[in-house]
Amino acid sequence: MPPFKDEHILVIAPGSQTTLAQLGLPESFTPAQLRVSTRMFPAEKKGEWEPIKIRERKITKHKQDVAPDPIDGDTAMAGTDGQTNDADAADDEGGSYFEEDPTTEEGAVYPIREGRVVDWSCLFALMTHIYNTLSPPFHTPILIITQPAWTAQDHEIITQFFFEKFKTPAFCLMDSALAVCYAYGASTATVIDIGYEKCDITAVNDFLINDAGRGTALTGCGGESMTQRLLELLSTKGFARDMCEQLKRSGICEVLPSGTPMPGEAEAEEPNVNPAAAASAGANAAGLKGRGSVGDSTAALRVAASGTDAGDEAQDGEGEDNEGVLDVATIVASGKTSEFLARKEKEKAEKAEKAAAKKAAQEAANAPKPAKLPNAKRMTASFQYTERRPLEEINQNGKRPLQNGNENGEVTLKRPKTPEPQDLNETGASEPIPTSNAQTNGQQNGESTALIRRDVEVGVERFQAATGGILDQVADAVHRCILSVPEVGRRGDFWDNLIIVGNGSRVRGCKEALVAKLHSKYLISPSSATIFTSELPSNFTTPVATGANTPQPQSHMSNSHHGPGVNPLLAAAVTASNPGGLAPPSQHQHLAAQLQMQQYHQQHQHSGHGQTPTSIKLMKMPEYFPEWKDAGIEEAAFLGAQVAAKVVFVVDQGLSKGFMSRTEYNDLGPQGIHEFCM
Amino acid sequence: MTATLSNTTAPNTADYGGDEISALVLDPGYSVTRAGFAGEDVPKSVIPSFYGIVPSLNGPKHLYGENAVHTPLPNIEIGNPVSQNGVVEDWDTATQLWEYAITSRLTNTKPSNPLTNGLNDKTDDLKQEMDGVETQERPLDENPLLMSETGWNTGKGREKLIEIAMENWGSPAFWLARSGVLSAFSAGKASALVIDVGAASTSITPVHDGLMLKKGTLRCPLAGNYISDQLRLIFSTAQPSVPLTPHYLINSKTPVDAGAPAQASYRTFPIGTEPNPSFRALQEERILTEFKESVVAVWSPGRLGGHNQHGGTNLDSARTQNARPFEMPDGYNQFFGVERYRATESLFDVKMALSDASHHAPTPNQTLPQMIAQSLSQIDVDIRPHLLSNVVVVGGSSLIYGFNERLKQELEAMYPGPRVRIFSPGSVVERKFSSWIGGSILASLGTFHQMWISKKEYDEHGPGIVEKRCK
Repeated sequence: MPPFKDEHILVIAPGSQTTLAQLGLPESFTPAQLRVSTRMFPAEKKGEWEPIKIRERKITKHKQDVAPDPIDGDTAMAGTDGQTNDADAADDEGGSYFEEDPTTEEGAVYPIREGRVVDWSCLFALMTHIYNTLSPPFHTPILIITQPAWTAQDHEIITQFFFEKFKTPAFCLMDSALAVCYAYGASTATVIDIGYEKCDITAVNDFLINDAGRGTALTGCGGESMTQRLLELLSTKGFARDMCEQLKRSGICEVLPSGTPMPGEAEAEEPNVNPAAAASAGANAAGLKGRGSVGDSTAALRVAASGTDAGDEAQDGEGEDNEGVLDVATIVASGKTSEFLARKEKEKAEKAEKAAAKKAAQEAANAPKPAKLPNAKRMTASFQYTERRPLEEINQNGKRPLQNGNENGEVTLKRPKTPEPQDLNETGASEPIPTSNAQTNGQQNGESTALIRRDVEVGVERFQAATGGILDQVADAVHRCILSVPEVGRRGDFWDNLIIVGNGSRVRGCKEALVAKLHSKYLISPSSATIFTSELPSNFTTPVATGANTPQPQSHMSNSHHGPGVNPLLAAAVTASNPGGLAPPSQHQHLAAQLQMQQYHQQHQHSGHGQTPTSIKLMKMPEYFPEWKDAGIEEAAFLGAQVAAKVVFVVDQGLSKGFMSRTEYNDLGPQGIHEFCM
Repeated sequence: MTATLSNTTAPNTADYGGDEISALVLDPGYSVTRAGFAGEDVPKSVIPSFYGIVPSLNGPKHLYGENAVHTPLPNIEIGNPVSQNGVVEDWDTATQLWEYAITSRLTNTKPSNPLTNGLNDKTDDLKQEMDGVETQERPLDENPLLMSETGWNTGKGREKLIEIAMENWGSPAFWLARSGVLSAFSAGKASALVIDVGAASTSITPVHDGLMLKKGTLRCPLAGNYISDQLRLIFSTAQPSVPLTPHYLINSKTPVDAGAPAQASYRTFPIGTEPNPSFRALQEERILTEFKESVVAVWSPGRLGGHNQHGGTNLDSARTQNARPFEMPDGYNQFFGVERYRATESLFDVKMALSDASHHAPTPNQTLPQMIAQSLSQIDVDIRPHLLSNVVVVGGSSLIYGFNERLKQELEAMYPGPRVRIFSPGSVVERKFSSWIGGSILASLGTFHQMWISKKEYDEHGPGIVEKRCK
């Protein structure tokens, strides 16, 4: 078999929501080139699938509408009368055509739910679609990232499919938690993967997954649960699910570490103005109570969290940063340098204009209040809600979306919605934004619908996305997962190497809040005089349970310097000649016996035999791959997959049985994959 | 790379001379149920044998798995289909629980229909072939199953197991093995005295030439849960008493000095939705497990209640020994000196047992050395020395620090003549999952293939065949 080349390797990482794929490993590993939603639409024939919704439409009725500039309420109305029309069409004229609708989700089937495969036919159709999209050459090895919830039999089914459908020469399965470890270059870590509807917690011990006690697919602990929680809190204020989803993704939605007071709670006369806050009163009250006395660890975290700024600022900053990073090499290599420069220049000008306008708007907004508060301190904040609406509806309002220039639109957007601290309690928190007078700023997109942007103001509910108990549940599972690591002495390493990945953790403050939760619930405080007992030969100076933090000064105190490995005879001699207490012979004998005993016990002592965690740390994100810095490390599993693919297919070339080759598949069948998968 | 591949993958088939038949090994216990493929060295699926019961509209609903039993759902209750003495009481639930252990990680609940799974191009003629096939798929249609059982399992219980495997799960072949025998295999011995210190019971199983000697097989209730009860008694009788508040009731804790009362913010549940006390008991067990892992030890040399060579009592020496700190979930922390040894001492010395109205002290015959003596006295005198020089100690509770040293010391005191040798796997995993590992070895042996009870034999002879074949 000829060796595999970097550019032929196909990596696919299926997820419940998004599937990542890439053909070829670049010089420096990049975020996935292909991102597709993990969904397919049932085609006309049963058992076949289409990547995009395909709608059957009668020709006669909509002829004018469709031809050059189709404008109608396609998405909005399709659900109700679309189907009946289709039926009619088939019956009456038989003349119908098919239309692709890239924007709708209607009727979509998601083959992976909570990490488990629920519809194989659909998943395979998706894999085929991805394979055809990337159209790899024949000599392409494939690496698939597997979900922790997949069973051994699932692995076999997938192996069989890939070998028999694509005739792949080499195939490898890799667990997503392990892939994350590859990305971080960590051999031992606790991987917390917060996904869409579930969360996986895995202790990886020396590149081996600890199966016992693994937190596989904790339901209700993903990003979707946060959206649902927001919806629960805000549905009374006219928020739809989609609005909550966008709110969650915006910069103003933040997860505050427990114990942080909500804005307005500390200073407001009436602490709970809204029913939503009352619902979570337990958590808040607890937070307030804890506030006075929380240990320094939480305090430090709180500082870290509040050090970040309000959402829109952060976003602006990012935009500017991105501009600075240009991959000059690729531009030059592509030979379109002049073209690119011209474009860049234009963009820059636009951006400057935009920024100027924005600044003006912001100045106007900032005028009434002296200083801008960080997001976590403001009662309300607004985010930009982008909505897809039929064009017709917009036209009825008398606003042609195209006429509203970008700059213009944004200026008008910013002005009226600036929150003012004074009137927060009356209007801000409790009033939803009336949709009728919202500013529209449409961009034409697709054929018949347009995106409308408007500002929506939210109260303190935006901090409560994770109040549904997600953090508690995840933290508890982390604790359980690490405590089921068999080697008691190594558990500290797992606490010190936490990795939080998964797109659910993108919600602002989520990682910090989770770490703060672990700190406040599970950290073993150092104040309990643990330090002293571990260093002293404790039969001399064990503090009796008097509550004293420091060992009582005794005449034997000098022994403490010898450490545990001290020669008992030497120690005895030192003690005997101690000028402080000239020990009578009988006592000396007794002491020697004690020392003997002590040594016996030390011989048999585990070195790290103690309670964990004494410290909890997040692992540092790897910095070798600059492209991942901007994209965020949440999809680290894909980075790890590329690393692994390089190692398995190119460097190792199957010497360590890193992948299954076609001949091996022919010998062993699908069951053989268990000998190869990682 | 080699390190990542060697440990979880099945050994070369050539090494064992067996064909790949993807047999499953299921090893149910009181606290954990282990399942996995034969030939692998760790069970892939390890789930708690406890299950959650939550009320729902159509009667109580059972929840299985690690996540389910540790989430404080409203009114959740915790049950266990296996009784305290390791015998299955609730067969329906046990079947579902074991099925969960198998289907959640190993095989699927619902294999896809070959017509639509995309693997077959031409669907038409396949459709005709498939017409006659029974549509209802069962979890083990393709996997032979090897199950472990306790040494004192009843004949009825054994027949029930083969019935479940054959009728409910559709397994093509079945075998039932005593867990003690499997543990001996995992230690690489055909003859051994296996002492398995588990959660609910300690079993003593003399194994000779791969067969369990029924006469000498004993069950002793002094095991992990007994130590937990002793700890509970120690905590509640301490002055001031040590609070045992599980994690789920704590929102956050505040560091306090050793021995000072806890200052934590507690979580409250709305009235009427509090988890059942059985849930709390299971969560307390989590703390106690951690306590046992990091603090508890077994006293040696000598007995805790005895005297050392200098005339002082060992109890006094224990007081001055390394005290170990432990912090409770609510932040309360304390040093545990003599208490460390006190909790385990009654496994060996009944005089040191703590008891109250609901926890009775064990009888003098129930201590481990006494049980071992009873077991040995009932077996042939000729093989006693051989067994004594092949004592295999396994089970999670045997991991308590100092356990093996003390056991050896007690055995040597009772049997001064023959040489007492204790074999105990060094790795924690091998100790905890020894009987599963033994099953994995057995089922992957090439020579074992002729042993399986096939579906055909079962159909011919009925469940009674298990008594005849699996001795």
